Amino acid sequence: MENKILKKDQIGKLFNELVGEYKFYAPKNHKGNISFEQIEKPEDILLDYLNSKIPPKSVLFPNMEVLFEYTLDEKDVEITDRQDLDEKIIIFGIRPCDAYSFELFANFFSSHGNVKDEIYLKKKENTTLIGIGCNTPRTTCFCTSVNGNPFKKDDMDLFLTDLGDSYLVEGISDKGKSLIERLSWLSNAKDADLKKSEELAKKAEEAIVTKIDAKGAVKILETSFEHPIWDEISEACVGCGTCAYLCPTCTCFDVIDETDQYNKRGRRIRIWDTCQSCLYTKETSGHNPRNTKIQRCRNRIMHKFSYYPKNYDLLGCVGCGRCVYLCPVNNDLRVILNKINKIEKKEDEKAVV
Amino acid sequence: MGIDTENQEIENSIREIAKKLLSENQVDVIIGYAEGTIPLSSTPIFIRKEEDVNKLIWNNLCYINLANYLVPLMPQLCDSEGNALKIGIVAKGCVGRAVNHLAVEKQVDLEKVKMIGIRCNGIVNRSKINLEIGEKEILEVSISGNDIIVKGKDWEKKFPYDQYINDLCKVCKVKSPSASNETCVGECEELESIHDEFADVIEFELKSSEEKWDFIKETLEPCTLCYSCRQACPLCYCNLCFVDQNLPVWFGKTSQLPDIIVFHLIRAFHLAGRCVACGACSSVCPVGIDLNMITRKLEKIVKDRYNFTSGLNAETLPPMMDFKMEDSEEFMLEED
Repeated sequence: MENKILKKDQIGKLFNELVGEYKFYAPKNHKGNISFEQIEKPEDILLDYLNSKIPPKSVLFPNMEVLFEYTLDEKDVEITDRQDLDEKIIIFGIRPCDAYSFELFANFFSSHGNVKDEIYLKKKENTTLIGIGCNTPRTTCFCTSVNGNPFKKDDMDLFLTDLGDSYLVEGISDKGKSLIERLSWLSNAKDADLKKSEELAKKAEEAIVTKIDAKGAVKILETSFEHPIWDEISEACVGCGTCAYLCPTCTCFDVIDETDQYNKRGRRIRIWDTCQSCLYTKETSGHNPRNTKIQRCRNRIMHKFSYYPKNYDLLGCVGCGRCVYLCPVNNDLRVILNKINKIEKKEDEKAVV
Repeated sequence: MGIDTENQEIENSIREIAKKLLSENQVDVIIGYAEGTIPLSSTPIFIRKEEDVNKLIWNNLCYINLANYLVPLMPQLCDSEGNALKIGIVAKGCVGRAVNHLAVEKQVDLEKVKMIGIRCNGIVNRSKINLEIGEKEILEVSISGNDIIVKGKDWEKKFPYDQYINDLCKVCKVKSPSASNETCVGECEELESIHDEFADVIEFELKSSEEKWDFIKETLEPCTLCYSCRQACPLCYCNLCFVDQNLPVWFGKTSQLPDIIVFHLIRAFHLAGRCVACGACSSVCPVGIDLNMITRKLEKIVKDRYNFTSGLNAETLPPMMDFKMEDSEEFMLEED
């Protein structure tokens, strides 16, 4: 399949052609906060951006989602399932780290024995990812240390490279390739365009200045559950949910029922939750196994760099750096991992089971 | 004198006092600010050894209210028996107010706390600068003379300091802790009361109800309910916040605007006569919500009705903890 060229002034044309058939999400700037929103006017699409503040997980796993609605009378409850799950979705302009995060999501939402999250999985199945390479990664980015790359293409359906006045369009998956065929008005890419995109990819990879020995940290964490380092790591943390909410790989949610007694109806909703909240692990008995900030901070690091590797043989982090530059007290994940890597291995400490 | 020179002097005095307090065993640990790992940031630091005092810094990005680390007391600040260590705390005016107020509410034992008082010269409004820079990575921020210099790869932008500090800092009347020499070493002054014109609030009050409501909706709309404002607030120390109570559920916790507004407004009610106007809630907000007008309005209501300003001393009970026969009751009849 031949690669194509999309001129920057053709974004509107692309949008108009696809918007009837797809719910079209793209990065949009709202007073300095960039998030993936459903686009109504193509001029709202922002592709010249570092990365969104709110990760695009918000499209498939929004911070508030109605799971089903119900009506109830004295005897019966009648449930109305979601009717919108067959709608096709495009996430346009997604960065490689965030596209990769959906691969990690797949583990959580489908790998717990026979329990599958049909709502998420159905939406994901109907989603086409049109991603864009990172020409200028931030200094806080470290995707190359966690199995990523600023031009990682294999999690996308279509991959764009910003060549200056146009985008190189590459079909990656079958879904992406058939979409290219449909957009027959796209011009063919020249060899020079491909060469330029390769140069940009190389330059971008070199621009990733943060290098972390994540695999080393995974190894050390196996025996560091009780290490005093956690006292130090958690000291400055204020216990808010910023790192988790804005993390593209955090999947935890809480489920609540909103019942309207007067009209005898209600809805079951899921909202983002975070292991940094002390309520997260509080049991009905009142007992809380993670009662201190030290334990909660440890859990976040252990989950991404120890439990996740153990359960899925993958790192639970994509290196986007959001938790690094958005932490209110600058409790920098890079610093935390470097501290962990400096722990000397002690044989007598028990491995976490 | 330029802001940069002032910062240098403040930083030197912090280090000097910190060294003295630790060497004389007057405190076991000092809570202060250290250089952040990214531009436009700083990070709280806990210093236990004399040789580490040079990690302490002062600049106009020291936005966290360090009193937040006093309540609830972390195990790291207790001895092996769980008793509080003697704590030194770098205290700009609003940190001093918070420490005083926490002492009034019997959350902090002043015998165990030593404030390292400094005369704060204002905190940079991070979200305002981020907003103006937009989608370019900031690589370096410094203060030169009275300008904030923001640099990126092949670009540089200057921001006049006095315009780009937090709105709360612009009207701040308590720049150094209001405390006696016993609790505070370094800069402090004992303030009986403060005079505030509240010109900014009066201007806001002239708006119509609809305009005020629109303002609130527009301000709070980006909230993700991460609760960083509550977590960074030294006065939000409830064991279980009203919004977290789920037996029964009192308030909705969804990210829909009505739930967001209820959270912020009820939190504001709970802070009436307690808020110390440090602005930490706004500085830490990852989506740049500025709660300053709510804070100022609260301060004005409490000042107008009860002639009270929180945190000026460690004795006077705040109006919501106290009852006097002559207390104003006008709000029971009508709201302005």
